[in-house]
Amino acid sequence: MISLCDAPNNKKLKIVDILGGHGVHRRLLSLGFHRNDFIELDSRSIFGGPILVRDLTSDTSIALGRGIARKIMVEIVGETK
Amino acid sequence: MAKQNSFPDIIFIGQPNCGKSTLFNSVAGLKAETSNFPGTTVKHTHSKVNVEGKVLNIIDLPGTYSLNPSDEAEKVALRHLFVEKPDLIINVIDASILGRSLELTMELIELGYPMIVALNMVDLAEKKGVEIDPRKLESLLGVPVIPTIASRGRGIKELLIAALKNLKERKPVSHIEWAKDVEDKIEELEKNMPDDFPIVANKRFTAIKMIESSKTFLDRMLKEINPSLKKAVDEIRGELEERHNIPAYEVIAAERHHLALKYFEESSQVKRGKRISWLDRVDDIIMHPLLGYLILIGVFFGFFFIIFKIGSPLEEFLLNPLINLRDYLSIKLGSGVFFYLADGLLQGVGGGVAIVLPFFIPLIFLMSLLEDVGYLARAGFLMDTFMHRIGLHGKSVSPFILGFGCNVPAVVSTRILESRRDKIITSLLIPFIPCSARTTIILALMAFYLGPLWAVGFYIFNILLVGVLGRIISFFFKTPSPGLILEIPSLKVPSLKSLFRKTYFQLKSFLIFAWPILIVGSIVLALMQFFRLDSFINLILSPFVEKALGLPRELGVTLVFGFLRKELSLIMMLQALDVSYQDLMTLITRQQLIIFTVFISFFIPCVSTVAILWKEIGKKMALISMALNTGVAIIISLLVRMIIGI
Repeated sequence: MISLCDAPNNKKLKIVDILGGHGVHRRLLSLGFHRNDFIELDSRSIFGGPILVRDLTSDTSIALGRGIARKIMVEIVGETK
Repeated sequence: MAKQNSFPDIIFIGQPNCGKSTLFNSVAGLKAETSNFPGTTVKHTHSKVNVEGKVLNIIDLPGTYSLNPSDEAEKVALRHLFVEKPDLIINVIDASILGRSLELTMELIELGYPMIVALNMVDLAEKKGVEIDPRKLESLLGVPVIPTIASRGRGIKELLIAALKNLKERKPVSHIEWAKDVEDKIEELEKNMPDDFPIVANKRFTAIKMIESSKTFLDRMLKEINPSLKKAVDEIRGELEERHNIPAYEVIAAERHHLALKYFEESSQVKRGKRISWLDRVDDIIMHPLLGYLILIGVFFGFFFIIFKIGSPLEEFLLNPLINLRDYLSIKLGSGVFFYLADGLLQGVGGGVAIVLPFFIPLIFLMSLLEDVGYLARAGFLMDTFMHRIGLHGKSVSPFILGFGCNVPAVVSTRILESRRDKIITSLLIPFIPCSARTTIILALMAFYLGPLWAVGFYIFNILLVGVLGRIISFFFKTPSPGLILEIPSLKVPSLKSLFRKTYFQLKSFLIFAWPILIVGSIVLALMQFFRLDSFINLILSPFVEKALGLPRELGVTLVFGFLRKELSLIMMLQALDVSYQDLMTLITRQQLIIFTVFISFFIPCVSTVAILWKEIGKKMALISMALNTGVAIIISLLVRMIIGI
């Protein structure tokens, strides 16, 4: 289990846990990011900027700040595409 | 809020960026603005339409991801649903991301109100290789499903017919069963609810919301008004949490999530080997950690060069007849009050057409293009890093970028920010973003006389200034920013129709609201000049205008009027100096031109901006904003004067 921040690009990942406060957790849920969903890291910006995550189940993308990404725990499931 | 009329209320509700406003527009005509940026509709829009002799009151609500609000825009949506009790809900969903979109649909069904689903953007879904069977979806959900393509006006008629039919039948919607153990707990809570308990929609919905609202305001309120019920809710939550090993609100969310995905799978066929469209490839480049920034800079420069390249020849072309007309008038009317009146009118009308519009129209067109393509959200992503340095995050980029068009909607759009801290800092910074009026001034003065590079340089300086100010302002706020969570909508090929419509919409509002102010302002100035009142104001301001800023004394009065409308300062400047646009440089120096532009750009936000700041963040903050802008304008102008020396 690693944090989304440390996960590699373009690998199929599974959301295992979402740490931190209920506010952020609820926001992620309403945007369609749930536990056990499969996601993929699409890109990360330079200088410690946000990361771009694609939810493979719902096919939506969201940008997450590093602080929030650090609280999302994932495991690597396999390759995408 | 009580219902104001007897017409049936139809509410359009959907997740951000599902094409809801576009659909609403097709139904209502040219009323609401649309965009490809999450959270554009922050205020609701009302409209009355006549469908086959029946008047309907249709309401476009801000996009909301769920019925658990986390920002102010979403709260607006909920207030309508819960308090005004619509006669019909039209739930607009983005067919291309059906799985996620259905989560809100599930929640709406729990309300039990009469409802129709508009399955929008079916063309986009097909392009992605997803084929949805609307009949199948309809039988699963238990509500009518109408496929639409709002951008091309398809399915609108069918939607309206279904709406009329539904209004006549008033068919209630029955809820969809969840897992047995969750249903049992909900039922248990329903039984615990006293008969006089204020329920929303129905008992089941109210019970679900109670379970979901742990650690929120609602939960604390329940503790005050009914401690024993609160205890029952806590126990039920505890049991759910123990059994599922996740927070109770997540248990509920997971139920909807599973159903949404299940229905998505059962009603759709996903063709294997999903094509990677060329848009995806473009997206990879735009969002590239390095190339993305180069493109961002390129877009930024390109944006202003294009506006300038279109605007300046057009401006010269339009100005010539105006000058001839003015000369003609001066011969005909002499120098009496009639000439002053006619001249004021001419300056106001002509100034609007010949100086403002040549830059304004390309500006709003290109802004709409960037918005519709979906580039703005991507700019937000790319800029997040830099926004952190100034104490904000990428979500504030959207109000800032809207600010380049007009500061007023930009301030309103700060409602999409979850924390008050971010909202205030962003609102205080927005008046420093050069809006279309100020961009026009910058282009018409700096770019036109000194060259386009000067304008670009000024823009860069302006953005750096916003950064420095952000840093300083956020120093006064101790609480940290909650961080960025921003949906990035898929890239879209914009429709020309929608772009023209949007440009027209903004142009119309310029012609209706701003242009009359320009005209009246010019006439007032002309009359003041005739009665020599302007010299009085100029005299009072002269220690500041002449001594401190080193500008011609005559410009004092134009600065005062800039408070009404920024372009007014530009048009009045020519009028006050009694000079034509082409000959301006014979009367003032390059340095004076720079200082004038700098001062006008930063000094006091225009009256509409002040009014909206007052409304959104309060009187105190609005006054602080005015003081901040004026202070900064004075300091920067003096610094510029010291550096370039006049």
